[in-house]
Parts: sequence; C-alpha cells; structure tokens
Amino acid sequence: MPWPLYLALKQLFPSGRRFPFFTAISVLGVALGVALLIVVMSVMGGFEFKIRQMIVETEGEVQVKAQGFVEDYPAVVKRIDEVPGVEAATPYAGGAVMIEFNGKPAFPLIRGLDLATVGKVTQLASYVVAGSFDDLDDDSVILGSEVARMIGATVGDKIEIYSPLLIEKLKHDEIFLPREVRVAGILEIGHQQLDKSTIYSTLRLAQDLYGLGGDVHGIDVRMKPGVNEDDGAARINAVLPAGLRAFSWMDSFSDFLWVLALEKNMIFFLLLFIVIVAAFSVTSSLLISVVRKTREIGLLGALGGRPLHVAACFCAQGVFIGVLGTAFGLGLGFAALAVRNDVVLGLARITQRQEVLERFYQFSELPAHTSAGDVALIIGLTVVISTLAGLLPAWRAARLKPVEALRSE
Amino acid sequence: MSDQVLCVRGLRKSYQSGDRRIEVLSGVDLEIPAGESISVRGESGSGKSTLLNLLAGLDVKDAGEISWAGSKGLRAGGRAAFLGMVFQAFYLIPELDARANVLMAARMLGTPGAAARARADALLARVGLGERTGHLPSQLSGGERQRVAVARALMNRPRLLLADEPTGNLDERTGAAVIDLLLELCVETNTALVLVTHNAAHAARTGRSFLLQNGLLKPI
Repeated sequence: MPWPLYLALKQLFPSGRRFPFFTAISVLGVALGVALLIVVMSVMGGFEFKIRQMIVETEGEVQVKAQGFVEDYPAVVKRIDEVPGVEAATPYAGGAVMIEFNGKPAFPLIRGLDLATVGKVTQLASYVVAGSFDDLDDDSVILGSEVARMIGATVGDKIEIYSPLLIEKLKHDEIFLPREVRVAGILEIGHQQLDKSTIYSTLRLAQDLYGLGGDVHGIDVRMKPGVNEDDGAARINAVLPAGLRAFSWMDSFSDFLWVLALEKNMIFFLLLFIVIVAAFSVTSSLLISVVRKTREIGLLGALGGRPLHVAACFCAQGVFIGVLGTAFGLGLGFAALAVRNDVVLGLARITQRQEVLERFYQFSELPAHTSAGDVALIIGLTVVISTLAGLLPAWRAARLKPVEALRSE
Repeated sequence: MSDQVLCVRGLRKSYQSGDRRIEVLSGVDLEIPAGESISVRGESGSGKSTLLNLLAGLDVKDAGEISWAGSKGLRAGGRAAFLGMVFQAFYLIPELDARANVLMAARMLGTPGAAARARADALLARVGLGERTGHLPSQLSGGERQRVAVARALMNRPRLLLADEPTGNLDERTGAAVIDLLLELCVETNTALVLVTHNAAHAARTGRSFLLQNGLLKPI
C-alpha cells in the first residue's frame, strides 16, 4: 500500500486505540447525512412507485380516450390487441353517480368493467378485501372501502344508484327509478382518494346508467413486460380511428409526476446540505490535524516524502471518512427504512392521529422504494464532497516546507 | 573524489531579518568520505541546523556547491535512499508503533515487504528494543524513542547520516549511550556521519571535529 494511504489509515485508526474519537465523529456526521438522504429519497420514491403501481394495476399502462364515446369498441379493441407489445385491452365506461344506503348518500365515480377482459389488464381482483370479484354481475357493485364505510354498507347489502341520466329523464318528464344493486364486494387499493371515490360495476350496468347503448368511454391497455409505455402509446395511436387518442400513464399524469419529481429533487438538494455541513466539519478537523502535526509533516518531507504524497495523505483521510460514512449511512438508512412503519404508526398511535395520517398521506403504510440510481447518486456525491473536504487541508499540508515545519513550535 | 559521500564548496546562506541581511554561512568547505564521522559544534544561532538542512537538501543555498556522492541534486525520493536524519525531538509518528515507525522509511521508498520488516526488527534488536517493537512512542522513554529514530534513519542503508543534536533531550547517560550506538552503527554499515552537538565529549568521539563560527567551519 502506498505510504500516504497507509499513514492516512493509521492516523484515522491509530494502533492501540479502540475508539478513534475524531474519526468516529467525522464518520457519524457523514453517515447521518447519508442515512437521512436514503430514508427521504426512498420514501419519496415509494410514493412515486406506489402511485405508479396503483395507476398501472387499476387502469393499465396506456389509456385510450375519446373526445365523446368510443363507438364500435370491439373493433377498436381488436386493433389495439394486434399492436406489437400490447398484452391486452379492456373497455370501460362510467362517471359520477349518487349512491344511497339507509338514507346515507355518497357521490363516487362508477367504473364499468368488461369482466371478460379486465383481469388481463388490471389487478383489481387482488384488492378485494371482502366478498369476491367473481360475484360481480349486472345487478351488483363493488364498493371502495371508504365509500362502504361512509354509507355503512357491507357485502350483501342493497344500495341505490342514481345516475346523471335521471336528470335528463326528469327534464323530459319521464320517470326514472334508481337502480337497486347488491354489494358484491369491498375493494381497498390503499389510496384514500381512490378508496373513497370509486365503485366498480359491470360494463353493461355502467352503460345502462349512462345511456351509452353499446358505446364505452375509453379503453385501458396493458403492455407486455419491458415495453416502454410511451412507445406503446405511440404505436397504438398509429392504428386508432380519428377522435381517439392513446396516452401512457405518464402522459396522463404528467403534471402530477412533474410536481412529484420537483419535490423529490428539491428535498434531495436541501438534504445534501447536511452532507456538505458534515464535510465542513471534516475539513475543520483535518485543518486542525495539519496544524497539530506540522512537525510530523516536516518529518515526512525530511524522510523523502514529496509534497504531492503529503497532500494525498490528508486528502485520503477525507476519502476514507466519506466512504466509511457512506457505508454506515447506507446501513443506518436501510435499517431506518425497515422499521419506518412501526415508527410512524407508533407515533400516530401515541398522538392518536392514525386516521389523520391515512387521510392526509393517502396510504395506510409509509411506502418506500429505493432506486439504484438514487443510491448511486448519493454514494457518488458524498464521496466527492468528502474528497473535496480533504483538499484544503491537503493543500495546506503540501505547502509546508520541511525546514520550517520541523522548526515550528 | 568518487569515494566522497559529501563534498561542500564555498557554501553560503543568509537570512533577511527586518532591514538587515544576516549571513549564517559564509563559505563552508567540507568533504566526508564513506564511513567517516565528523562533529560540528557551535553556539546557538551559529548556523549548525542551517548547515545540516542544506546538507540534507531541505533548504536552498545562496551560493556554493554541494555534491552528494558526485550528484549535484538530491530529490525527495533520492533523499530517502541516500541519507538518514536523526533529530533532537525524535519526531516519531505517534500513531505508529516502533516497528512501523522504522518501516516508514522503507515505505517512502515503496519497499515495505517481508525483507524490510525483518530488517526493521533486526535494527530494533540492534538498538536494544527487540522486545518493544509493538510499543507506541508514548509507551517509550526518551532514550528509547531516540533509538527508534536511529533505527529509522538507518533503515534504508543510507550513505550519509545527519544527526541534529540527537542527545539534546536526553540525560547525560542516555545521551552517551545513543552516541555510542550511532558511532557503532555507522562503523558497522560504513555510513558517513555528521553529528551536530553542543556536547564537547560527544564531539570528541567522532573522527574529526569542527567549530562553526562566523559562518565558517574551523577544524578543532
């Protein structure tokens, strides 16, 4: 091992000392910054990942929308199915309705699903927490868990649905009775906004409620694994008739995703200052070390050490602190992520604010998704910042002339 | 002249002190063949350490010539191989044990292998510290630290050893033992020695003695 690296390690971990205080404090400073970055970036990534997962699992990766209605949808679905990269497509219809149970009203969106194909595109069945998706027929609905809670309905109850068509009929003095349907199941996606605003029915029931006849409002498409959603949407657009347009889920939610990305980047930038502050403390400690070791630096010169090697010795200490701090920080961060839900729920329980947490953060659990790119960025930047932290002390040490350094008091 | 380890001709060095220019060395001439030991005495501020720093290639001369075994320059890397230095304040690296301190000289040359470790152990044994190779400087007495410093100075088999008041921080008995050791080792290894000292008795034990006075080296 080159002597500057050897001496740097020995100065950080002196022989015969169990607890090198300066090293421990410096490493801990960097580690805390890295841990915080990992936790926050993972939670932010978790929100993003969860949202993506929910969108894709409930609506597919590509949505075909019409300016009005999709006419002759079986032909359109057939065209879409033939596009390379498409796994399956399923039509849907729906919109706002009013439901009532025991005098308690709610105003969710109804989403009519084609039972023959919906399972190939979405994974809604896996979110059913009571009853069964298989029990869904033209005389039943599946309620979002929060909708069910709001009106107090459970599986087997009968609820009434009022659609906007009722108003149209009333305008023409026609009598239109609400549709009475059975609750076939309760579905919980885990996103408060969706769970309290959506109910699911068969396609035919939604078409009846909206008077669509054989038309639908749109088509959800699932792409084969590995196919880029934007490329898929572009290919589908090439075969769609006029008036229809395919959007990838990222297009459909582009504003929301942009805000999410901006938020994540801003938080990353702000939290990076913790690492920078830790790096300043490393610089300060190493500068003190240079002053304290002036005679030793002079000795190194007298023994034949070149200024560049002396500089490398101090710079390497910054690098080692950065690498160790990053390693400990990653461990600390991932450990914190492993117990994040216990901590958050524990705090919520202590303050009796569990419901508030779910209402405001939309998720029943604190999601986390650590991307390799984020980890690489954190590691890279921390090591670079720590290396820079060692440069000033290294420069000071390299400038010392052996003769003057040896004479210093 | 090729057997000369060190050859100095007309060496001059001065320092600026306020408005005055103080000439510390005013034309020093010196020749030292391999294996010879010389001593330099003089009053405090007479320029002994300045002379030693110039001989070590650590300082820049104003005029004159210094030749190290025929070479006019001594680069940092070459210095580690050509000469060893012993200081009054020992200057051991506190984080390293005795063996590692001695090995540091070999590390400077990039040769800290098994042979170097064996030589470091042998040198420490030779200076009477064979049982204390794993001790840190803080666990050694002043005399022991200086013996580690002597072993370090000889680690790379230098042709020239420069000792700047090596007994200045030691009691008389320990100082005498260190001088004995230095002289013995230089004879054993055919190393030339320049010993800067205040102590007349120590100076008398070298082959030649000089007095540095008014910037000139005068034989005693």
